[in-house]
Amino acid sequence: MAALLEVADLRVRFDGDVEALRGVSFSLQRGQTLAIVGESGAGKSTLAHCLAAIAPPQAAGSVRLLGRELLGAGEDELRPLRWEKVAIALQGVPLNPVATVGAQVAEPLRERRRMDRTRSWARAHELAAEVLLDTDLLERYPHELSGGERRRATLAMVLALDPELVVLDEPTAGLDPATRGELTGQIGELAAARGFGLVLVSHDLPAAAQLAAHCIVLYAGAAIEAGATRSILTTPAHPYTAALVGAYPLMSTTKDLHPIRGAPPDPRAIPAGCAFWPRCTQAEAICSEQRPPLAPARERLVACHFGGLKRLLAADGLHKSFRRAGRTVRALDGVSLHVAHGESVGVVGPSGSGKTTLARILAGQLEPDAGELHLDGPPAQARRPARALRARVQLVMQDPWDALSPRMRVAEIVREPLDVAGGWDERRAAAAVAEVLEAVALAPSGPFLDARVHELSGGQLQRVALARALIARPALLVADEPTSMLDASEQARLLVVLRERQIEMGLALVLVSHDLALVRKVTDRIVVLDAGRVVEEGSTPHVSGAPRSDTGRRLARAAPTFDTPAG
Amino acid sequence: MRMRARSGLLASYALVVLVLVTLNFFLPRALPGRPIETLSDPRSQTYVGDATTRTALQRYYGLDRPLLEQYGRYMADLSAGDLGTSIRRHAPVARVLGERIGWTLLLVGTAVALGTALGMIAGVRSGWRRGRRSDRRLLALLLAFDNLPSYFLASAFAYVFAVRLGWFPLYGARTPFSESYAPARAIADVAHHLALPAAVLALQLVTFQYLVMRASMVGELGSDHLLLGRAKGMSEHVLKYRYAARNALLPAVTVATLHIPLALTAAIFVETVFAYPGIGRLLFESVGDRDYPLMQGCFLVLSLLVVSANLLADLLYRRLDPRTAA
Repeated sequence: MAALLEVADLRVRFDGDVEALRGVSFSLQRGQTLAIVGESGAGKSTLAHCLAAIAPPQAAGSVRLLGRELLGAGEDELRPLRWEKVAIALQGVPLNPVATVGAQVAEPLRERRRMDRTRSWARAHELAAEVLLDTDLLERYPHELSGGERRRATLAMVLALDPELVVLDEPTAGLDPATRGELTGQIGELAAARGFGLVLVSHDLPAAAQLAAHCIVLYAGAAIEAGATRSILTTPAHPYTAALVGAYPLMSTTKDLHPIRGAPPDPRAIPAGCAFWPRCTQAEAICSEQRPPLAPARERLVACHFGGLKRLLAADGLHKSFRRAGRTVRALDGVSLHVAHGESVGVVGPSGSGKTTLARILAGQLEPDAGELHLDGPPAQARRPARALRARVQLVMQDPWDALSPRMRVAEIVREPLDVAGGWDERRAAAAVAEVLEAVALAPSGPFLDARVHELSGGQLQRVALARALIARPALLVADEPTSMLDASEQARLLVVLRERQIEMGLALVLVSHDLALVRKVTDRIVVLDAGRVVEEGSTPHVSGAPRSDTGRRLARAAPTFDTPAG
Repeated sequence: MRMRARSGLLASYALVVLVLVTLNFFLPRALPGRPIETLSDPRSQTYVGDATTRTALQRYYGLDRPLLEQYGRYMADLSAGDLGTSIRRHAPVARVLGERIGWTLLLVGTAVALGTALGMIAGVRSGWRRGRRSDRRLLALLLAFDNLPSYFLASAFAYVFAVRLGWFPLYGARTPFSESYAPARAIADVAHHLALPAAVLALQLVTFQYLVMRASMVGELGSDHLLLGRAKGMSEHVLKYRYAARNALLPAVTVATLHIPLALTAAIFVETVFAYPGIGRLLFESVGDRDYPLMQGCFLVLSLLVVSANLLADLLYRRLDPRTAA
């Protein structure tokens, strides 16, 4: 038996140069559910129209519904398939303004099934009842219905001829959250009860997660990631998907929202190579030259030359002991930590848990006794920390007065890493200093450049330290309690600066802290250390919301709150 | 709710009528020339030599009274249904108008119905096939017709179809002394006389209607509910008429009722060219005579026709578009 839907290399190019779809392929079996997600202008609606046998004449490639080719078929061939096999709820739920809702629900029955007025009207009532639409509303005109009611009416209309494929284009856009939730639940129940194949086109990620088992992420008219909805949304592989998910607020979200850098491409001028590369923080030369194919990676399909987000740092089995007063103290006892490109990982634990030791090893300042440290590519020998590693990973310490030389001026402090690296002439170095100072919200010119450490506030000083760390354009920033000596306002300002740098540079972050309230605002993932071992690891909402380890629970209890203890 | 909206609508129309009646009284008096002057001009056909008679006449028609008093009298008479007496025709204005209005209604009614129907049908077809050859040809042809002035078109039609070909009578609304005709023959006779002036008048209206209907139709082509209809597998016929044309009708209906004042204006020319015994020709003559009461009567009838046309448009619109009914 032919698949319900088979789409192969679907392309739509309007007026010669507007590329709405650039080669989309997928297939859907009967009763399967698929979500197509992406930003506005990604080509979602055009794709929906192509599936519903109302493709624009410019569509090329192949769309087969139950084995029958839709593209290039004449109106007389398409008409019997429309609504009978595939029905669509268009975006914005347009209805004919001059006909009653009931007449429009009954219309396909009368025109297509040749039902008489009484029978089609009775059937319209049944359909309305099925989608929980007040049947009195059938006598009304579309403008007399609320947004939610119009959507239910459209749903009733879609089900009229019992289609095998239902395409819903933004079925919940513009609704209040309660109505949206209700409607989403209802669509799921209908799909389960009637067993139709469902294609949900939406930028509503939770609706996609709830309704569709499979998911395609569309960007600039092409699939950029495809696979099981759950794993795509919880562990996105493609940098775009990760950014899209990071920009979406959920009830469980604790981290501050990160908008995606840049803007979606103009469909008249889609970049060569990977369409996402100008916004991608891990792009390399190849990204602007070759278009990556949608290829299997991480149990899904990803269109990225690197199979998705690069793994930036992998530390495995780190051991470190210190001799102190003749006794051996085990600071790290087999700790492993992986950090992806652009990811924020929090390392929390009580004093003496080994946090600072881990931070210093990751930053290449301390050698581990055993274990391996890989950084973005071939493994670096753990016993000989390479100079390259040091430039790619930068450390910001807890105490800026301690870390920064009191004899140096601001400009010298910030540019010192460039002098160490060498190869920077005076003009370029000065420009880089000004740029990075501006990026951390400090004055890029004037007397501030000549200020000395003791003349600055703690917050300013810590941002000078951050500027010094960022000037070499590191891929990973390790920050060890960077805000513990700052007041709340200075701390907030530093975090805002850090977040902006992460969005713009794709900077990965390892934030070491004992303050869970702070870590949950900044990180995606939390690792809990205690006595040199990892005792808990998981996504930030899980670990901060419902810690499983004793240490985690202790930290959660100690986290700052304004509530007075009960009793 | 709906009842209140309708009574509000009727009240606003009543106010419009009051303003019209007032303007109708003052405007002719703002024209240069006075009715009695034609009586005192030796070159005029209606010259009255005796000064005493002239004064008596002036008093008879109330023209010696202050303007406001004349206005009060006019309003009082009007509310009693008295439109005054024609100065030139020595007959009650109401009776003169009564004899003529039927012909104008017949002529304008036929022309508006014909022009609207043709314009709408052509507009729907043209708009549905926008940019194709049939659309372009129709557009060019009707635009060419539209640029001819009505008196030229009337004269051209009269020359070609009445004088050269002799298919239709050249003037009048019926054959002289045809009162004795049997009803069927009388109707055929009236229709025969009506054909040319009505055709000319209809042609004046058809292009505007066509253009509006076509533009409105083209606007509907890109609408989402039409796309929905297509997705629902509706036939081309249903899409064209029930979806596109039905929605495109709304602005077109407004235009159709705007036609009535347009047609009444054009009727003045057409009735004059074809010597058609309607209000238009009567108005033309009464202006020449400075016959105030008759002019006022003609204007009053014409304005009332225009206002009723607008009221009709409002009521029709409410029926056609459920969104304006609330």
